Amino acid sequence: MQELVATASLGSVYLLFALGLSAAWGTIGILNFAHGAIFVSASYACYELLAIQQLPVQVLAVIAVAVGALLSVVMQVLVFDQIRKRAKSERAAETRILIGGIGAAMIPVAIASHRTKNLAFGLQGSGFQASVWEFGGVRITSIQVVTVLCALGAATTLGWYLKRTRAGLALRSLGVDDQVAALMGIDRRRYAWATMAFAGGLAGLAGVLLTLNLGAISAESGDALLVKAFACVVLGGVGSTTGVVVGCMTLAASETWVLTQTSGMWVEAVSFGIIFVVLLLRPQGIFGRQEVRRV
Amino acid sequence: MSSVYDSNLVLIQSALVAVLLALSIQVPLRLGVFSLAGVGSYGIGAYVSANLVLRYELGSIPTMALSALAAAAVSFLLGVVIYRLAGLYLAMATIAFDLTVAVVALNGGEWTGGPVGLFGVFTDLTMGLLFAVVALCLVAVHVTEIGRLARRVTTVREDPELAASVGINVRAYRLTAFVVSGLVGGLAGCLNTLTRSAVGLQDVSFHLVVLALTTVIVGGALSWRGAVIGSVLFTWLPTALAFVGDWQELVYGAIVVLAAIFLPTGLYGAWCSARRQFAVSFVGRRREAAVRARLHQGNVDKEVAAS
Repeated sequence: MQELVATASLGSVYLLFALGLSAAWGTIGILNFAHGAIFVSASYACYELLAIQQLPVQVLAVIAVAVGALLSVVMQVLVFDQIRKRAKSERAAETRILIGGIGAAMIPVAIASHRTKNLAFGLQGSGFQASVWEFGGVRITSIQVVTVLCALGAATTLGWYLKRTRAGLALRSLGVDDQVAALMGIDRRRYAWATMAFAGGLAGLAGVLLTLNLGAISAESGDALLVKAFACVVLGGVGSTTGVVVGCMTLAASETWVLTQTSGMWVEAVSFGIIFVVLLLRPQGIFGRQEVRRV
Repeated sequence: MSSVYDSNLVLIQSALVAVLLALSIQVPLRLGVFSLAGVGSYGIGAYVSANLVLRYELGSIPTMALSALAAAAVSFLLGVVIYRLAGLYLAMATIAFDLTVAVVALNGGEWTGGPVGLFGVFTDLTMGLLFAVVALCLVAVHVTEIGRLARRVTTVREDPELAASVGINVRAYRLTAFVVSGLVGGLAGCLNTLTRSAVGLQDVSFHLVVLALTTVIVGGALSWRGAVIGSVLFTWLPTALAFVGDWQELVYGAIVVLAAIFLPTGLYGAWCSARRQFAVSFVGRRREAAVRARLHQGNVDKEVAAS
C-alpha cells in the first residue's frame, strides 16, 4: 500500500512536468530541452525569495508558476522563435531547437548552482510543515495529496481544453501541419507563447511541489527529470494527454518496483529501458497515432 | 616553442581526444542520422581499454584496436535495432543508450570501479602515436568528403528517398554511420583513458553528450574541419574564460544559444560562405558571373535534390 502512495505522488510530479513538455511538443513542435532548467529555476527563485522574506507556501506556489511561465516565454521569444525564423527546413529547425534548448538550460542552472555552491537547496524558510495522516499503517502527507490533485487537475483541464474548445482545436491543427493552420488564420506565435507559458507554469509548480516533498533538490536535478519525462511522453504517445498520464504512472510504478526489488542504483535505467522498448515495439506510443508522411 | 608545447600538453591531448569524440557525433550527422550514441561508445571504449590494460597488460596499440572494435560492435547492434528511427526520437533513444552505459558503469562492480572508477592505467602511448591515430582518422573522414562518395553521403542525408531511388543502399549507409561512430567514439574513449591513466563516471555522462554535440554544432557539422575547430575552441575556452571565474558555464550556455540561432552551419560553414561572398563582391565582373553561374548551378542541384 505504501508503494501505491509513493507511485501516485512520484507519478504526479512526473505528470506535472511531462504535461507541459508533451503539450509543447505535440502542438507547436518544440521539444524544450530547457524544461528541466525551468523546473529547477522556479524552485530556486522561491528559495532566494525566502532568504529575503518569509512567505507561506501557497504564495510560493503562485510565484513558482509565474517564474516558470515567464522563463518559458522568454526562452520561446529569445531562442526558439529566432531559430524558427532563420531555419530553412523543419528538420533543420528541430535539431537547432534541441541545441538552443540545451544552451538556454545551462544559463539559469549555472546561476543556481553558483549561488547555492552546488549544494542541494530546500524551502525550509517558509516554515511549512506537511501534515502526516496514517490510514491502517499507510502514511500519506498533505504535500503528496496536493501533488496528486494538482497533477490530475492539470491533466484533466488540458485534455478537455485540447479536445473540446476551439482554441484547443487550433492548437492541435498546428501540431498536424502549421502551414495549413496558418492559412486557416491561426496565429502560430500567439499560440506558441500561450503553450510555452502553460508548460513553464506547470514545470514551476512541479519544482516547488517536489522540493517540498523531498526536502531539497539540487540545481542539476532537471536533466534526469527531462529524460524521464521524455520516456513518459514517448510511452504514452506524443500529443495524447491520456497517454502522458498512463506513461507517467507506468514509469513511477516500475521505478518504485525496481527500487523495492533490487539493491544498487539500477532505478535510473528503468526510464531508458522504457524509451528503448517503446520506440522499438510501438514508436507512436500506446495512445499515439501513426504519422503518415508523403515522399 | 617547445615550452609552450610542454605547458599545454594536457590541453593538446584533450583537444585530440575531443576531435575524435566530435567526429563520432559528426559522421552520423553527415549521413542524416541524428545519433548521439558516440558518447556511449566513448564510455565503452574508456572502460574496456582500462580493463584490457589493468587485467591483461596489453600495449597501447592492441588496446586501442580491441576497445574500438568492442565499441563498434555494440554500436552496430544498437544500429540494427534503432536505425529505422528518425529525428528527435533517434536522438533521445541514443541519449538513453548513453545513460544506460553510465548506469552500467555505476553498477559494474570491480569491472568499472563503480563511483570511484579505475586508476593506474599506464601504457606505452606516446604523443607521436596519439597524433598519428588522430591524423589517420581525419584522413579517413576526409576521403568521405571528396568526390563520388561525398555526393552519395549528401544525398543520403538530404533526401533518403531520392538516394534509394538512384540505387544507393540507404540502410547500409545508416548502419555504417553507427559502426564508424562506434569505432571513432570507442577510440576516443580509449585514448582518453590512456592519456589520463584513469577512467571514471565523468567519462560517460549527459554533460559529455552536451559537450560533444555543441562542439560539432559550433564548429560546423558538415566537415571534419568543423569538428577540429570546435574541439580546439571548447578545449581552450575554459582557460580563456578563466577571468569570468565561476560564471564559465553561463558564458558557455550563451555561446551555444548564439551558435544555434546565428550559425546554422557552424563557424566553418560561416567561414565558407564569407569566402564565397568575398569572391562575389571583390573579384572582377567576369569572374563574378562565373561564380554566380556556379552558385546557381549548385542551387539548381539542391532544388533537384529537394524536390
